[in-house]
Amino acid sequence: MHINYWGAVKGSTVGRVGGGLLLAALAAGAAAPLWPHAPEAFSQAVLQPPSAAHWLGTNDVGQDVMAQLLHGARRSLAVALAAGCLTTALSFLTGAGAVLGGRRVDAMLMRLTDAMLAVPTIVIVIVLAAYVPLRFAGLVLVIALTGWAAGARIVRAQVLILREKAHVLAARTFGASTRHLLFRHLLPDIAPVLLVSFIQSARRAVLLEAGLAFLGVGDPTAVSWGMMLQQALQFYYTPAWSWWLLPPGIALALTLLSFLLLGSVLEPLLDPRLRRDEHAGD
Amino acid sequence: MPSRWPSYLVALVLIVAVNFALPRLMPGDPLQAIYGGEMLVEMTPEAYAALERRYGLDRPLAEQFLFYLGRLARGDLGQSYYYGCPVPEVIGGALPWTLLLAGSAFLLSSLLGMWLGIESGWRRDKAGDRGLLWLLGLVNGLPDFFLGILFLLLFGVLLHWFPLSGALTPYAGYTGWALALDAARHLALPLAVLTLTNLTDLFLLTRGSMVTVLGERYVLTARAKGLTDRVVRYRHAGRAALGPVTARLGVRVGRLVTGAVFVEVVFAYPGIGGLLQDALAMRDYPLLQGLFLLITVSVLAANALADYALVRVDPRAGHAY
Repeated sequence: MHINYWGAVKGSTVGRVGGGLLLAALAAGAAAPLWPHAPEAFSQAVLQPPSAAHWLGTNDVGQDVMAQLLHGARRSLAVALAAGCLTTALSFLTGAGAVLGGRRVDAMLMRLTDAMLAVPTIVIVIVLAAYVPLRFAGLVLVIALTGWAAGARIVRAQVLILREKAHVLAARTFGASTRHLLFRHLLPDIAPVLLVSFIQSARRAVLLEAGLAFLGVGDPTAVSWGMMLQQALQFYYTPAWSWWLLPPGIALALTLLSFLLLGSVLEPLLDPRLRRDEHAGD
Repeated sequence: MPSRWPSYLVALVLIVAVNFALPRLMPGDPLQAIYGGEMLVEMTPEAYAALERRYGLDRPLAEQFLFYLGRLARGDLGQSYYYGCPVPEVIGGALPWTLLLAGSAFLLSSLLGMWLGIESGWRRDKAGDRGLLWLLGLVNGLPDFFLGILFLLLFGVLLHWFPLSGALTPYAGYTGWALALDAARHLALPLAVLTLTNLTDLFLLTRGSMVTVLGERYVLTARAKGLTDRVVRYRHAGRAALGPVTARLGVRVGRLVTGAVFVEVVFAYPGIGGLLQDALAMRDYPLLQGLFLLITVSVLAANALADYALVRVDPRAGHAY
């Protein structure tokens, strides 16, 4: 499968908006260290409305909201990247392993996949975070361990198709090892599927990280949008909602939207059946 | 594969195992996870040993697991140390509110989602369809709790149309219809948010299914017979389009329940989600474990039921994968 990702993103309005939003989030994260205020620095100026010094005002303990917003972008994108990669890797190994491992391994792994799909994994992550304080690595690991199932189903379906392709059959006739098949033949062919799976996993990771922090079980040392929302929600009846509560919510919503839009542009590339809308009928 | 029952068994074992492992994952003392730090400080060594025996913590892990299963089978979920009474009692007080909220949201979002999906599919690529697709697509991108915050700010704080939190006006002493009206006013905002966020996937699915069905020959036949648009839209195409939709019911329950947790937190609604947040804040571990079991097992049960219903309705589904 050779697919022009860049062209697909650039060629559609949805793709351009999605890519633009993601670039904006990346720029915000990159600019965070340049901002004159530190996100944790307290000051006497509490609940100040936006001004030249504090573009988005300050919160209840005098911290600069803009600094927190920019550092929140770093946090969200770092979790998205790390958890997205790890989740996708697990999906690939499980999905492809199920096909190559033979009937028994396949049946076992698919039982487990279905089981994971039926359980509300967000609840598991929430409760787990209450017992074991999850720092960055722990959080990423837990998000990936609870999120690989959906991707694994898709990878498995694709590998089942690829397995019958000529070059894979040829390699098998020459006695290629499972490892060789997996990484030399299947991985490159399945890359587009993995990219879409990565985008979806990244979106889920951002949502989960924000949700945990919003419920107050996130990493208390990390500045994140979810934590800002949790703290600002207690002051919603004061004017501070307009500069403290809305910005992290909007930033979070736009970041999630960017993944959603990019995913919706790239997804039809994989499955010709999804492309039907464009030329069938009428 | 005849059915997915083995998967549900695996899931149930996973849930129970996780629940058993949780207090033992804690750095430090599992009894602290069961009873809370404050209580252990005041305890005599004899009482401590008695507690350890009660939870079987002095035995090997395998024996502890059997112990735990036995307690679970008797419905013994322990004592909430924040509320000071048995966990099932605490949960029982909050459950009706969540059932009211999540149940109404499930009903409303299902009916609205299917109706809008049918109408939208019927008018494919017309202005109404495009508008709905964009609107619901945007809503779909928002986390449940942020949409809740937006509704809270707009309809509660700015417009004063609805109360900001709770399920009833405290100490109002309403009875009869006044009480029902009060409950409905408090329910309105969380219900609207939960309905909206759960509408989207059903809408998209019904719409897609409708578009496919409209290309079928029997729809053309129905039109050729001179049936009215209404009859073709609902009786013929609509009914056929809803087949694949039922398959999603189970998955939707999972999303609905986790959505309800976050929405209840935003509106300080006294249901399971509000309770979960309290339990998290107080580190009330027995209550946390009880809530975890209740939520995961009921979502699992809903999934299994939906699967069972689907196989009964459409026997092909049993062999679908």
